[in-house]
Amino acid sequence: MARLLLLLWSLGPMLWQLYSSLKPSEALSGLGAGGWTLENYRQLLQGDPPFLTYLINSVVVGASSTALTLALAVPCAYALSRLGRRQARALTALVAAAAAFPAVLLFLALLELARDWHLANQLLALSLPYAGLCLPLAILLLQAAFADIPVELEEAALIEGMGLWQRLRWILLPLMAPAMASSALLVFLFSWNEYPIALTWLSRTELLTLAPAMARIAGSSVYTIPYGACAAATVLGSAPLILLMLLFQRQIISGLTQGAIKG
Amino acid sequence: MSGPMSAGDGFQGLKLRQLSRRVGSHTLVDQLSLTVAPGEILALLGPSGCGKSSTLRLIAGLDPASSGEIQLGGRNITALPPAERQVAMVFQSYALFPHLSVERNLSLGMELRGMGRAEIQRDLDQVLALMQLEGLRQRKPAELSGGQRQRVALARALIRRPALFLLDEPMSNLDAQLRDNLRAELRTLLRSTGVPVVYVTHDQHEAMGLADRIVVLREGRLQQLGTAERLYRDPANRFVARFLGSPTVNLIERGTTQLGLRPELLELTDAGSPVPQGWEALEGQLSHREWLGDRVISHVQCAEQGTLRVLSREAPISSALQVRWRQADALRFDARSGERLPGSNTPHTE
Repeated sequence: MARLLLLLWSLGPMLWQLYSSLKPSEALSGLGAGGWTLENYRQLLQGDPPFLTYLINSVVVGASSTALTLALAVPCAYALSRLGRRQARALTALVAAAAAFPAVLLFLALLELARDWHLANQLLALSLPYAGLCLPLAILLLQAAFADIPVELEEAALIEGMGLWQRLRWILLPLMAPAMASSALLVFLFSWNEYPIALTWLSRTELLTLAPAMARIAGSSVYTIPYGACAAATVLGSAPLILLMLLFQRQIISGLTQGAIKG
Repeated sequence: MSGPMSAGDGFQGLKLRQLSRRVGSHTLVDQLSLTVAPGEILALLGPSGCGKSSTLRLIAGLDPASSGEIQLGGRNITALPPAERQVAMVFQSYALFPHLSVERNLSLGMELRGMGRAEIQRDLDQVLALMQLEGLRQRKPAELSGGQRQRVALARALIRRPALFLLDEPMSNLDAQLRDNLRAELRTLLRSTGVPVVYVTHDQHEAMGLADRIVVLREGRLQQLGTAERLYRDPANRFVARFLGSPTVNLIERGTTQLGLRPELLELTDAGSPVPQGWEALEGQLSHREWLGDRVISHVQCAEQGTLRVLSREAPISSALQVRWRQADALRFDARSGERLPGSNTPHTE
């Protein structure tokens, strides 16, 4: 019974969105009224540009942000985990401070940057601020994972004659797969949900990512609020994330709890 | 004694010359010099923190030497990275790659060094057969027992055909019975490689049972180097005397000197018995006995000299006892420095 309540508590809003997305707009004021319809989805998918464009944009930005973040965070975390204790502690504190820095304060400066360096309206350029903002947290996560790997494993590889990249590629990174997966997902989620930077850096409609696109759909009319379209967009926008979560569930959970169980 | 005591520059084994490692104000290894001949097993023995593992890491190239020289097969390897030293090392934790199968644990290094597939396969088959691991090829380390993991770690070292074998407490993760059984097997295997072997342990039985010669280390300094028998019968100082032998050597004060009395060289008789010529004796009370099966350790409380441990075949019957020993059997140490005093005992033969 308690489980059922908990399930309803977490899944309720999602189910309600799904329900709303399948109803005609005028039926939403009264429960149960009206028939089922795919009209909301049809409108979205055949819109100009079609909703799929936003999805693809978000996937592109998410993937490039994730790749960039990991490419920078892995070497940083490795270096931090192999430094002397005192240096590592000082640098880790710095990284933690960066992770705690309120991103809102960077907002105007970022806008200036976009203007001066002509980064506006370029999808891939968005991954620069995204990677920058996610980097501290990713470094901390990966550093903990590196620290969990016994030093002897790397030393054994060293004696076997493996160079730095070989040790990373064949020994360390495979052992860090869970931490890599959870860091990647955090970055991807951040980029997927990020709104203010995307809103200000992108102005051309066909380049919009999901968050600003949804806002545009919601605010497209002054007279009515298109509940149905919003609900359909929410369903379509969260589907890829749910899929990702289901695919990598095991890695992510073991990555987030890694230090806790291995001791 | 099998180890050559002198070694020229053409010496094919391992040679350490004045090797030191200092970290900050700490000296982990202090001016260590020794040689290990091809086919010889040398044990580095000492309590934890004595510098034995630090020495091994220096030889492997995992830590840089502060001064001194390491020679292997006639060439100076002091400054070479681990990969170029041709050494193999078995770690205390075995350091098997947990995500790789037994087979891949052995072959990964060879693959990355660019060895041919056929060659790798041949070496794999050979070593897996030798170590009786054929049935476990596809297992992951987590699916192996402690003894099997040790065999995989040894196999991974063997397959490289190293010029030098380093082992860091390879038995410490095994239970006592398995350890006893494996000692002779491991010795045969290591001898068969024909390369110098350096074996780190804190267990005197392991060192005595496995090694041709033993180095006792304390605070990074060499205390004594020799065969197990030499170290036991003719220890250079009190530290070596105390470290080898169980039960531990008895120490009694004689002014500025200390007598070291091996428990098995003490005799028990009834209190008040006449003391023969050339013997010395103390009187005391039996406090308790430990029965070992074939022998008994009697703890005899001797007034101000403290408790003496006596190892004998038969348990004493009375409780008022005389403990006596041949004067020639007593080891004499300087009470202050612990150094052995000259002429104290004649090498004993049984």
